Amino acid sequence: MTTIPVVYVKGQYNHLIVRNLKELGVTSKLLSPSVPLEQLESMKPDALVMGGGPQSVRSPDKLTGELADAARLIRQVKLPMLCICVTHQLLATAFGGVTEAARKPEFGPVEISVLDDGRILEGLGPSFTAWESHNDEVVRKPDGFEVIAKSTSCSVEAMGHEKRDIFGVQFHPEVSHTTKGVDLFKNFLGIVEEHKRT
Amino acid sequence: MGERLSVAVQGFHPSSFLSEETGRIRDITQGKKVISAVSGGVDSTVATLVARQALGDNLLPIMIDTGLLRAGEPEQVKDRLSRSPISLKLRLVHASGRFLSSIKGETTAEEKRKKFRETFYQVLREEAQKEGCEYILQGTIAPDWIETQGGIKTQHNVLEQVGIDPATTYGFKIIEPLADLYKDQVRALGRHLNLPKEFSERQPFPGPGLLVRCIGSVTKKKIRVLKEATKVVETSLSPFNYEQYFAAIIENKFAKDPSTKTISETASEALGLPKSEVHAEVFEDRVTGVKGDQRCYGLVAGVKLSEESRETYGWLQDRLRQLQTGIVEKFPDITRVALLVKERRGGGPLSIIVRAVSTRDFMTAAVSPVPWKILKDIGQQIMKEENVSRVYYDITPKPPGTIEFE
Repeated sequence: MTTIPVVYVKGQYNHLIVRNLKELGVTSKLLSPSVPLEQLESMKPDALVMGGGPQSVRSPDKLTGELADAARLIRQVKLPMLCICVTHQLLATAFGGVTEAARKPEFGPVEISVLDDGRILEGLGPSFTAWESHNDEVVRKPDGFEVIAKSTSCSVEAMGHEKRDIFGVQFHPEVSHTTKGVDLFKNFLGIVEEHKRT
Repeated sequence: MGERLSVAVQGFHPSSFLSEETGRIRDITQGKKVISAVSGGVDSTVATLVARQALGDNLLPIMIDTGLLRAGEPEQVKDRLSRSPISLKLRLVHASGRFLSSIKGETTAEEKRKKFRETFYQVLREEAQKEGCEYILQGTIAPDWIETQGGIKTQHNVLEQVGIDPATTYGFKIIEPLADLYKDQVRALGRHLNLPKEFSERQPFPGPGLLVRCIGSVTKKKIRVLKEATKVVETSLSPFNYEQYFAAIIENKFAKDPSTKTISETASEALGLPKSEVHAEVFEDRVTGVKGDQRCYGLVAGVKLSEESRETYGWLQDRLRQLQTGIVEKFPDITRVALLVKERRGGGPLSIIVRAVSTRDFMTAAVSPVPWKILKDIGQQIMKEENVSRVYYDITPKPPGTIEFE
């Protein structure tokens, strides 16, 4: 059995991530980002997924309580991790990247160009339609990460850590209109299974 | 087109859900009587049937006539639910006068919704006291509490999740058997409970009813015109299997904000048409939208193309998408874009906006490609009402729009 809690940062689609994971046979539920590390460990999680939220990470020193807690989890937890939308931006800033107001914010369907279709984006290239909803975007990726997808308006639609199993995506794989989103979750589960074995 | 997005529902097992949930309801209520608030929609009907399995005659289903339901709806719902195999004895509570007077003079979406919620629970409290009930059962589903908790909009049936304790505020406790489910899962559960198709697949209708489709202030005239337009749109679009389709009404008052002055230019650029062919205006009243997971109470742009271009562009989905994203990207205060279908010069003071979307779970929605000919026909029929001078088609997905307007 695979257990993957979803860190709830008040985004509308966070609960849909739980639904996606349950549909793939994973044990999952929403979890507050303020969860103490010991309590998280007692759930014996195999990975973490973090959802989107209404907050902004443009000023890393002025994060809301929820995002400050989520940033703490990003730094402390050593499991495979998938961060979506605002937590993708949080992941970038936590590792030294930069998030700013998007030159062109994206809402609704966006064409995503896959730059590296290995690992988490396997089978999704050369491009696919994903749904988005963001006013900010990652403008400089952090060191140690590789940009693996972009769109015409946004240069970092997805990124992956070069050594660890940590991924960030700006778009929402959990909404039903991102029809290939379920493949992304399957790829992530494959990575989690591999991580469990090693 | 027309195929429902949710034929199979993976990983959801109606029978195990049912045995768990009926057990939970029995544990909570301990043989006491429970009032069930039914609207006739699939959520509250399925919630009621789940609870009836658990409680039998201790469940007392009522339906509140808010005056904001569709023409003839309360009586129709009461009649249809009373028939076999559902055989639910529904008691109608007439409260339309109270609802209309409570929202009188309110013009903003959130105030209207909050006034509606207040009246809704006052009426329920009186009914609970009459029956000596400690518990109210309702058909809240996941998107209801997610949107309310996230500050997108106040759903009338969400209290505890936003920190309102119903026991101290209204004197009763709330049971929500479907709170973790989405619409497609509720429909699957309904089919499992042998709910006739007309209910399990019924077109969704919001709890506050026409209130959220009557943009800005609510008047008897607007509600009357909206009820007629709703009939036209529902009759014309029901054969298409769109998950949601309806009419909204807005007054022809236009914003004079200088920051939106260049909107016609933006629209013509996005469409690749000469400026003389495109004219865009921004309505004064605001509607609910969602941008970057945040509520955005934004403006509606109405775009008019010259008659000839309209005939060509009316059905070019890609172009309409460019038009919508072009405007929303450039003007942060605008969340919706609607395309003019038909107009009558010198006509009445109201516009009707037609909306049709495809959605699995009501969390995201794509604009449905309603055939241009059908839209024109709808426009023609609605224009018979002299108070309406324009009919538009909403070309905004969710996000940045929401499915309903307020």
